[in-house]
Amino acid sequence: MKKLKIKPQKLFNVAITYLIILAVCFVFLFPILWLVLASFSKTGSIYSFEGFFPAEFSLDSFKRLFTDTALYNYPRWFLNTLFIALMSSLIGTALTILTAYVMSRFRFRTRKAMMKTTLILGMFPSFMTMTAVYLMMTQFNLINQQWGLILIYSAGAPMGYLTQKGFFDTIPSSIDEAARIDGASNFRIFVRITLPLAAPMIVYTLLSSFVWPWSDFILPQLLLKNKDLYTVAVGLMSLDDSEFSRFAAGSVFIAVPIVVFYFALSKFLISGLSAGAVKQ
Amino acid sequence: MQEAQTTKVKNAFSERGRKIAAWFKGLPARTKEKFAFAREILNQGNGKVRASMLLMGMGQLLYRQWAKGILYLLVEIAFLAYFILRGADDLLGFFTLGTVESNAWYGIEGDNSVIMMLMGILAWIALLFYAVLYIANIKDCYAIQCAADTLKAPKSFKKELSELLDKKFYKTALALPIVGVSVFSILPIIFMILIAFTNYGGDIVPPALVDWVWLDNFGRILTLGQFAPTFFKIFGWNIIWAVLSTALNYFAGLGLALLLNKKCVKGKTFWRLFPILAYAVPGFITLIAFKYMFSYGGPINQMIVDAGGTAIGFLDIDAKWTARLIGLFANAWLNIPSSMLLATGILSNMNTDLYEAARVDGASAWKQFVKITLPYVLFATMPVLISQFIANFNNFGIFYFLRGGLYMEGYFLASDTDLLINWLYNMSIDNNYYSIGAAISIIIFIVTSVISLAVYVLSPSYKQEETYQ
Repeated sequence: MKKLKIKPQKLFNVAITYLIILAVCFVFLFPILWLVLASFSKTGSIYSFEGFFPAEFSLDSFKRLFTDTALYNYPRWFLNTLFIALMSSLIGTALTILTAYVMSRFRFRTRKAMMKTTLILGMFPSFMTMTAVYLMMTQFNLINQQWGLILIYSAGAPMGYLTQKGFFDTIPSSIDEAARIDGASNFRIFVRITLPLAAPMIVYTLLSSFVWPWSDFILPQLLLKNKDLYTVAVGLMSLDDSEFSRFAAGSVFIAVPIVVFYFALSKFLISGLSAGAVKQ
Repeated sequence: MQEAQTTKVKNAFSERGRKIAAWFKGLPARTKEKFAFAREILNQGNGKVRASMLLMGMGQLLYRQWAKGILYLLVEIAFLAYFILRGADDLLGFFTLGTVESNAWYGIEGDNSVIMMLMGILAWIALLFYAVLYIANIKDCYAIQCAADTLKAPKSFKKELSELLDKKFYKTALALPIVGVSVFSILPIIFMILIAFTNYGGDIVPPALVDWVWLDNFGRILTLGQFAPTFFKIFGWNIIWAVLSTALNYFAGLGLALLLNKKCVKGKTFWRLFPILAYAVPGFITLIAFKYMFSYGGPINQMIVDAGGTAIGFLDIDAKWTARLIGLFANAWLNIPSSMLLATGILSNMNTDLYEAARVDGASAWKQFVKITLPYVLFATMPVLISQFIANFNNFGIFYFLRGGLYMEGYFLASDTDLLINWLYNMSIDNNYYSIGAAISIIIFIVTSVISLAVYVLSPSYKQEETYQ
């Protein structure tokens, strides 16, 4: 056994590895740290910083964010965003999971054609349809309506069913067959057996379809013209340049819940992301 | 090695060619087969089936299948009402795009061509749904006839309902997603494709009447002095951007995953939190933060000034390459984490025996990476890589947030960092060049689909297509 002696070369290797890791982590952490500290800045302007970080700290930005609502009604925006994101996430996830389950478990005549169609539809640039969606929404009287956004987000969700289908493909179908022999219908199997097994995937889908409307900017900007209906993203973009710390505070406040979610679910994240890949 | 590669490529193509040839050869026979059942119904169907052909649900009612008959009848009535009230006009309006020009002087309310086209497409989709239901209705009635002829009791309505939760659960489950995707994805895409062949935009917006101009818009983009130089400049940069950013994100993500996977690294979960943190913060926030960071009053310039230098306009109008590099960097910052997580997931599924064998044979770490890790990861992530390429090709956010709304000399409504998708946005959302914008999006679609198809067909993942689909 050679391992009793630690070679200097190996030590060097380890040191370099850690050095790179530290550097990378610093690069990822720094902009966020900067933003977080900026949100606690006392003066609120980016010009009063000493180098990278504010000279004095206070909670003023956060206080102003929630109390000084005459011009920028952040609490209102926050509730709007929460409502739109929650509803879209729930409806979108239900539709996505259903689609993925059917595509994975059933063999019917139009299945292949449907899968190819979604693949082709996905290749069209997403902004291409913006004008059309806008015109359609004016026709359906859904401009300045939160439900209009929810409808668009959740109707578009099943297009991204591939990851979920990949997951359902890995659940052995022998489980289904055993239940079928016992006389369970496909609907029952889906509700009682597949759904509980797919819990991690459902969580992943809920999260990813929550994040999209939560941080989307283009669609709400196009469809919500009334300041009281703004989502946080649109609201933050409408802030004046001098309001940097308000922007930072508002950003930190909506980023925190997602960061907590992602940390808690980092395991699902890895399996969710790699579920769309080819398996050997 | 090189030769083996080219023969492999050739084989992939000739195999594809043979398949296509076989598909065409089998076409007449298959068409015949498809219509065999239709012919059977036409020849064998009795009066009641014919009644169903005349009016949906009639045959079912004659067979005393009340619930189903009434449902079909209601569907028929609903569709008829829709087509009489507006559907028929919409279908016609789709072709004419309006004939009455509005005239405020005479108080004439003209046709709105754009809405007519949109509603026309909707009417076509409705007609398609109607046709599907109509055929289902005839087939259903024929099935009842067959059951009656062989003296079997036809399926009860209750049983058919329960079948919708069992054998035909896929129909129940897919109904809503299909309607949603049809209305909110397919309809707008068809609309924009058609818009590309009209003269909608500029001065010609409702109430002016829009007309079909066929391929004029494409000709204008590729040849007209106004659009062509901008198009080719942006297109070139767009390709460079897509290749560079995809490669950078992919390999940096893989490298990071490998680094954190090293045996000597302790606390892997802890280190992984940093990229996840970057991944979790909404992209528009980070991008605006970067914009502030590199702005004139931003911290980086402050440090430069404090050190005695002059402030640099990183994202200024003449900062072509610094702005592009900052874009590349910001994009990497945003996307390396997901590529790292993906690679981590793939690597954890990997069989480690190969490394053991390689080590015994004395292969260096680099050799192990090139010969074992890379082929495996590339194989497993090829579909993801392609979708990342498309996403980067159409990466709207980066330059919209960093440098949006900048119009430059030498460019038509764009700047030197804008990608085609940003140009498309500037043209059709900010300025109303709708038809030109639509034509650009079709070009984007053709480019991305051809590239991704070519890469996919040539990739090893393609041979195992079935495992992916």
